[in-house]
Amino acid sequence: MSIDIYWRIGTHGDQPSLRRRVTSRGEWAPVVPGSLAPGVRHGRRDGYSYVEHMADVARASEVSGFVGGLLPSFPFTDDPWATAAALARETTTYRFMIAYQPGFLHPVQAARMSATLQRATGGRLVYNIISGGGGPAQLWWGDRVDHDDRYARTSEFLDVLKGVWNGGPFDYEGRFYRVEGAGLPEPLARQPFPEIYFSGSSKAAIEAAGRHADYYLSWLEPFPDLAAKFAQVREHSAALGTAPKFAVRIDVLARETEEAAWDEIRRGWEHVDPSALASADGDSVGWLRSQSFVSWPVRHHRELEVSPNVWGGFHLLRGGPAFGLVGSYAQVAERLDELIGLGVGAFILAGVPHLEEAYRVGEEVLPLLKGHDVRVASPLTAALSDSRA
Amino acid sequence: MTETPEFLVTVPTRGDGRHPLRRDRGDWEERRPLPAFVTDPRGGVSGPSAHIAQVGRAAEIAGLDGALVPFDPEGEESLVLAAGLLRGSRHLRVIAGFHAGIATPVYAAKLSASLQRFTGGRLDWQIDVALDPVVARAHGDFLQGGDRYARAEEFLTVAKGVWHEEGYTYEGVFYQVLAGGFQPPNAGLPFPRVHLSGIEPGALALSARHADVHLFDPGQNLDVGIAGLGDRAAAEGRAVAYGLRLPVLAREDEEEAWREARGLWALAGGADEDFPRPDPKTGLWPGFDRIAGPGALGLVGSYEGVAAGIRAYRDLGVTTFVLSARPTVEEAYRLGERLLPLFATESQKETAHVH
Repeated sequence: MSIDIYWRIGTHGDQPSLRRRVTSRGEWAPVVPGSLAPGVRHGRRDGYSYVEHMADVARASEVSGFVGGLLPSFPFTDDPWATAAALARETTTYRFMIAYQPGFLHPVQAARMSATLQRATGGRLVYNIISGGGGPAQLWWGDRVDHDDRYARTSEFLDVLKGVWNGGPFDYEGRFYRVEGAGLPEPLARQPFPEIYFSGSSKAAIEAAGRHADYYLSWLEPFPDLAAKFAQVREHSAALGTAPKFAVRIDVLARETEEAAWDEIRRGWEHVDPSALASADGDSVGWLRSQSFVSWPVRHHRELEVSPNVWGGFHLLRGGPAFGLVGSYAQVAERLDELIGLGVGAFILAGVPHLEEAYRVGEEVLPLLKGHDVRVASPLTAALSDSRA
Repeated sequence: MTETPEFLVTVPTRGDGRHPLRRDRGDWEERRPLPAFVTDPRGGVSGPSAHIAQVGRAAEIAGLDGALVPFDPEGEESLVLAAGLLRGSRHLRVIAGFHAGIATPVYAAKLSASLQRFTGGRLDWQIDVALDPVVARAHGDFLQGGDRYARAEEFLTVAKGVWHEEGYTYEGVFYQVLAGGFQPPNAGLPFPRVHLSGIEPGALALSARHADVHLFDPGQNLDVGIAGLGDRAAAEGRAVAYGLRLPVLAREDEEEAWREARGLWALAGGADEDFPRPDPKTGLWPGFDRIAGPGALGLVGSYEGVAAGIRAYRDLGVTTFVLSARPTVEEAYRLGERLLPLFATESQKETAHVH
């Protein structure tokens, strides 16, 4: 089986390193000299917008060997549908993994947008379906459906989306959706259906994943916990007669040597505000789980290394999940190989800053992987692997 | 009315072509094959977005102010096309047409805020409210009659609410938001200019409260519509601009234009003896029904003649003209070179000479 390796495109700005939590890319912080996209030129904004930077990250990761990029979605981010549609024509092989919560868009509209995007990109759209999250943020979005009900809605959403996908007429009467005589018009119909990466750590999520996921996607956790979670998904899926593959979303800090990597973390740790230790928010089971692997409070950054190279403090240095890999290029590659050994069939990697680290991880870490043949994404890496063969 | 009107082009959402019935540009039909002995480089390179991008560039280069991507249940999705058009242009305003059932108002606003950020605030909305009931039900929308206007009212209220106000809370019949509202940098952007349409009282009442531009069609009674909407908007303390969706066929002289019209009529399957005459009073040609879509009425004539027709609408108060003409690329160039200069003001001409 070939392993799909994605990169992540930050949809809410980026920092130039993990050393300081300063967002100088995009205008999520005040635009001052040194800011990029938009930047300052002769004392005025230079007219660029953050989408220019996201285009750079997409092109950089495409040429570095990643099959595509994850576009996350939160209240404060840019929207992934808008981003994918804007960038569709600026890459050639790059897949756009759109994170979304069913319920914000009507499934017929999601099908229409997806089909037009498939036509615009030659079938390079991938879904990251999120049903959980929730808490106060859910009503920020104007969504009043409860946590477990959201998985039932996701099921209905996908029923309708798949029902209209190949044309019509399609009728449906569910708890959340009702359509009559629906169907995509020719020639939007019968585009390749996007692969589904399904996120969620709760019981309801794992059950729903068994039904709908091509890949069950998890944040990185300590490997034994991850293995146990996969076993749960396998068990639920087997009962349904399905067998989703597994994917892990991992932040990576890899350097030439282990010392250089930890030194980078140490420099960031020096600026962590002790009061910034995040508290659990919302009804996301994934977030609660990630907090439970470490005994707080923590004084030294290496205390968050729960097993070799697995570090649980990334959320203190940048926004996002806690766990990631820290180490030499070779060590990080070894850990990724171990995950492949646990059954992982796809990765979504990320590093700060996303542009520069896409080149670094693509050039220095991916070629060291031994687990399986990595799916070749760009003409450049294809040429390199041909010459090595 | 000395102000220069705003001209937009209508983006073809289900193919385009020289022949009124062919849709092979934009990948809605196979391109005609080249002879076997001719090298054909086209395989796989011309997707739908390649043609849409070409339309956008043509409209921009030709000096049009914008492009309307209508909601077309039988065509490509408009927000996706709009994103590509905006990304590929510098000046063009792009109106994305959709209906209130496509998303929650929060999500429609969120997606639009990103497009505003990416493009310097050039996205506009056209909300279709009175959908054909069959189309509406196929899109999961079973509301009928006045409820559709009530829902559109809430949709626009909530979308504007979260856009402009942090900590926004709303409790309505159709929507609910708690402690919503966008934060910087998604806050403080220009809200998409809202285009609405329809001539019935519910439509005019909604426009009076929410439209920036109300789009009419040539078959409607603009005198009555504009007067009615003007009064209602004034009562709300607002002003609404008036627009017109107008198919055009403009050529060097009258004779050439009508020769072209006859040719298109025949290609679209019209019998010569049925070739319709323009309405003697309005000058509108009903033959567009066959070549531009059911019920379409538009202007045929010389550039000066079509310009005179447009001026007559401008005298009624119309300031936005959403033109449609096929094939879209060639006709956008033609309109930009020949029709639009007839509306250049003296000061614009002087500026052009200086450079």
